[in-house]
Amino acid sequence: MPNQSESSVSTGRESSAAFLLLRLFLGLRALLAGVEKFESGGNYSFEIYYRNMSRMANGITSASFMPLWATKTFAFFLGYLLIVLGLAVLLGLKTRLALIGLGLLWVSLSFGLMAVQENEGVAWLGVYVGMNAAALLLVRHNRFALWSDRS
Amino acid sequence: MSDSSTSSLPSTRRGFLTSGVKLGAVVMASPYLARAAAPVGLGGSQTVNIGLIGCGEQGRVLLNAALKIPDLRFRAVCDIWDYNRTYGERLLKKFGHEVTAYEDYREMLSAAPDLDAVIVATPDWLHAEHTNAALRAGKHVYCEKLMSNTIEGARSMVKTAREAGKLLQIGHQRRSNPRYIHVRERLLREKKLLGRINNLSGQWNRAVSADLGWPERYTIPEAKLNAFGYANMHEFRNWRWFRKYAGGPISDLGAHQIDIFNWMLGTNPSSVMAGGGADYYKNHEWYDNVMAIYEFPTPEGMVRAAYQVLTTTSAGGGYHEYFMGVEAALKMSENPKYTKLYREALAPDWEPYVLEGLIKKPSSGEEGAAPAGKPWEKEEKPKFAIAAPRASVVDVRETAALSAWDIPVTLDKAIHQPHLENFFSAIRRGTPLTCSGEEGFASAVTVLRVNEAVAARRILTFSPAEFVV
Repeated sequence: MPNQSESSVSTGRESSAAFLLLRLFLGLRALLAGVEKFESGGNYSFEIYYRNMSRMANGITSASFMPLWATKTFAFFLGYLLIVLGLAVLLGLKTRLALIGLGLLWVSLSFGLMAVQENEGVAWLGVYVGMNAAALLLVRHNRFALWSDRS
Repeated sequence: MSDSSTSSLPSTRRGFLTSGVKLGAVVMASPYLARAAAPVGLGGSQTVNIGLIGCGEQGRVLLNAALKIPDLRFRAVCDIWDYNRTYGERLLKKFGHEVTAYEDYREMLSAAPDLDAVIVATPDWLHAEHTNAALRAGKHVYCEKLMSNTIEGARSMVKTAREAGKLLQIGHQRRSNPRYIHVRERLLREKKLLGRINNLSGQWNRAVSADLGWPERYTIPEAKLNAFGYANMHEFRNWRWFRKYAGGPISDLGAHQIDIFNWMLGTNPSSVMAGGGADYYKNHEWYDNVMAIYEFPTPEGMVRAAYQVLTTTSAGGGYHEYFMGVEAALKMSENPKYTKLYREALAPDWEPYVLEGLIKKPSSGEEGAAPAGKPWEKEEKPKFAIAAPRASVVDVRETAALSAWDIPVTLDKAIHQPHLENFFSAIRRGTPLTCSGEEGFASAVTVLRVNEAVAARRILTFSPAEFVV
């Protein structure tokens, strides 16, 4: 039977591993969701990004109470935020802060889909929010960070 | 406007406003001409005075469509049944028309001399009698389809219209429908979107329906019915099913669509074969189900057309006319929800037609169209396709599903309104009629010979001269 100190070391390792899994998943998910916004028919460009985002903003506005200026502003930043926060979580750059930011981004996306009554999308995002919250609970077990929260 | 005024002109199709100005001083000398040349809004030259003969089912449809058209003044309604007559009279009075009701059309034509036009919506067997009398009395006539239940009756109407120098419009209302016109003029003729058309099919499938009844207290005494040519009240109410009065479902329903075959192809058929019978209804005379096959010789080659009218089922997609070419097929219907344009994979690029606003890209998941994304989602083509399970492939010879495109023109009025508008515009401004007596005659010949082919049980040929009066 392991002693108490061995047990706590073991729990620490498991928590670190659990956090790493969440970090990888959330980081990759955010990064690819951001990159995908620049793509159309296998091509990537900033022009495509603005076309996709304009369609998204118009689509949400046409199906909800949200004004176009609000959806356009959000859409303008969305792709960049997903990439920046995704990379930050993935690489461990101010991980705690990045996770808080990413969590808020999932919630804001959920809000948009709630407004257009896209319940399936809201449910998927709810899963991300839950994983993001779990990651925050485990963030103290963070390892392999390039830029620690404390420094 | 007055019938006398228009008939006094060398060209009866000429709009009276123009003619009134040309006649100058004569206008001042003649009371009715003076009224005819008065400005619009003062009961003047744009106002057309109308009499309606027949206030039954179709008469009411036309009445309701006509009430939406400005500058029409109903002056007389006529029906032998007081139940219908009272309905028409009350409806028109409610809309501010000072209308007199008549039982006999002869009385109406002689007692209401200031009518410019007469709408005939009586049973088919009376169309010729009523139309000819109105034309001879100097009125322009809008007569419901089918023009007549006999070819001779239809021919007499064309001749009388010519002799009287009056307009005769036949109620094949699809010819004035902007969607049908768009398809015929822009898609089929100008762009040849379907490529070589080889086949047509058309149908009107309708579920069984009970015979029409009548309120007991409105029963017309048999002696009076006999005097007007009807055997009894049942035949009077259900005249469409009896040989003496009508041509049966092929004429009631089929005529609309067979007329569109002729109109879209711009030619008349060279032969017809048909089968049919009074198979289901025991107290009717006419064929309740009819299937016909026509051959249409066109400059591009022979076009074969199948038409069916089934009055014992509503299965099979309601009513439509289907034009099938090598590059695309067009399913037309008065009901826009049945209308679709199907593109074959070998057709040239249709993007320019989309940009011109002539057609619309597939927008729904129906019948082979790409599934629509949410408006906020990225527009994208599927990156990979999952192969259908082998068991679901019915036949390897089956062609891939066609993409379904839309036609961006829809009629936002009552379906008969544009056709009536065309008629009144012809009276006022000389606009060409969309279905003159001559064209209605060709359609009547095309339709009525189906019944003849059913009875003869053999292929009948048409000579081009048969369609001409």
